[in-house]
Amino acid sequence: MSADHARSTIPDRIAAPRLGLGSIRLSEAWFAFALVLPALGGIFVVVLFPLLYSLWLSFTDVNLLRAGGPAIELFGVRVPLFRWIGLQNYARILADPLYWSSLWRTVYFVLAFVVEAVLVGLGMALVLNERFVGRPLMRSCLLIPWSLSRVVVGLLWIGILDFEFGALNGVLHNLGLIDRSIAFFKDGWSALNVLVSVYMWNQAPFASLLFLAGMQSISEDLYSAAEVDGAGYWQRFRYVTLPALRPIMFLVLVLATVNGFLMLDLIYVLTMGGPANDTTTLSWLGFQTTFAFFKFGPGTAILYTLTALCLLLAFIYHRLILARFEPEA
Amino acid sequence: MATVGRGYRGGRYKGRSAGSRVVLYGLILAVALWLVGPFVWLFVTSVSYQKNLLARPFALIPPEVTMDNYKMILGLIRFHAEGQAAKILPSMLNSVVVAVVVTILNLVIGTTAGYAYARYRFPLKTLSLFALLFTRMLPTVVLVPAYFLMLRALGLSNSLTGLVLAYCSFTLPFTVWIMKAYFETVPAELDKSALVDGCNRLQAYYRVVLPVSGPGLVAGGAFTFMLCWNEFIVAQVLNTKPGTTTLPPVIAGMNGQINIDYSVIAASGFLGALPAVLLVLIFQKYMVQGLTAGSVKG
Repeated sequence: MSADHARSTIPDRIAAPRLGLGSIRLSEAWFAFALVLPALGGIFVVVLFPLLYSLWLSFTDVNLLRAGGPAIELFGVRVPLFRWIGLQNYARILADPLYWSSLWRTVYFVLAFVVEAVLVGLGMALVLNERFVGRPLMRSCLLIPWSLSRVVVGLLWIGILDFEFGALNGVLHNLGLIDRSIAFFKDGWSALNVLVSVYMWNQAPFASLLFLAGMQSISEDLYSAAEVDGAGYWQRFRYVTLPALRPIMFLVLVLATVNGFLMLDLIYVLTMGGPANDTTTLSWLGFQTTFAFFKFGPGTAILYTLTALCLLLAFIYHRLILARFEPEA
Repeated sequence: MATVGRGYRGGRYKGRSAGSRVVLYGLILAVALWLVGPFVWLFVTSVSYQKNLLARPFALIPPEVTMDNYKMILGLIRFHAEGQAAKILPSMLNSVVVAVVVTILNLVIGTTAGYAYARYRFPLKTLSLFALLFTRMLPTVVLVPAYFLMLRALGLSNSLTGLVLAYCSFTLPFTVWIMKAYFETVPAELDKSALVDGCNRLQAYYRVVLPVSGPGLVAGGAFTFMLCWNEFIVAQVLNTKPGTTTLPPVIAGMNGQINIDYSVIAASGFLGALPAVLLVLIFQKYMVQGLTAGSVKG
């Protein structure tokens, strides 16, 4: 983005009548500022302020029933501040073994999801990048899993995986492969991996779209040269396609990592964190603590540790991706 | 980025051998089945009777086709869970209202900001761009406890206005980003000649640049609508009073009830999915361009 700033020569190209350099620059800057102000103001109100308020809540003893207590007045609205208890919420959640087991489960979930999403995403992109009859239609198909609400994604996979009426159990039964239906969600380990794969089904198509966009910007000359040198399909993939996709690979990795950490809605629809707590990830634990048990203090503390992880990833994203991309963009 | 490839790669000039053609079409079939099969199956279950889904041997092609499930959720046939089903249409209307209002807000505010980012230099530009990027990585769920209390303080609990505000938190940064990437592809000479022709800067934007920016607006608008239409967690938590929530929480609520047949839930799921799927398929060209440009360029 700093590079973006440096190469922003457009104000010079849009030559306005010059009265004096200083005043022109100022008015141009003010005009642009007026254009971004509604969006930035909006983002301040709906993102930054709630973000800070949530942070504050994670250091307080939130009691939803207590109307009095400290508060701040903002534009005539009384926003309750509750009682400051320092790091007690954080101490409490970090002392809970469930927090740590959820954290490790989240790490497994994210790793498994990232690996699956990248492999399947890349695999589908490679197939769809070939020339064949009906290729545009196939690209449309790519958009279907991605455009569904996660509630519907969960719902339709229940239709396939359910113990009683699931299509997969039905088909396996017809083929004589099983006598009794498989209960995919009964065992915790199986349920967790089903969640990973269902989320991958929903998200990998977007990775494919990014990979396809990357593949299309690779110069044909590189492939011709490789072919002249006698490179087969896998060698062309290994030495031409893959290196060229490196920036997009980084992007997909980071987006998948962040999305993996945040996944919540599918857990709600498919497992509710169970059986036992075997599919309870950090985001689900924070969500439940806050909105099922109404413990806003500890709940926001859990969600904030998650946010800190995402912030770290955003930082890595910025350093790795943008630093690489902008000079050639 | 030297050549704008058509994307025809690997083995494109030589004719493929019969063997590799079989492998390729086999793979294509597998991918197609993987992508579309589950959604098609959702439709199949939605026009089936539950008893046929439970039958063994199992039939992939339903022996009987029925519209009863749809009639039930649309209130045309009475059944035991009609109280649940009666929530679907009003919640769908709520979904439409929220998604349309958020989309309009995004297109007005976000597009304007995206234009400024693409064309001008101004104080705090780099910093605010970084803030936008950071916002895109933020878990929306961490904001929800704050929304819950803030909307309560404002007297906006269980209101569509509250949802609109909350939805702007995850859509607005995206829209600004997509539109910035889009306007960077519109030649700056266009603005320049408009200024030479006597437009002021604002007129150059909305009389000259905006009218040729249809594809970008469609990409940003369709994406925003899709995100709002599909959103579940925020609506589930903020709008708990009956009649105030959107479609996804209602469908999830039906899914949680054991006395409702899956085939009925599948019908509501399919009906709920259709608007977003159709929107994306209709505008896919612009959406794919807009999203990949917005993401790939950071």
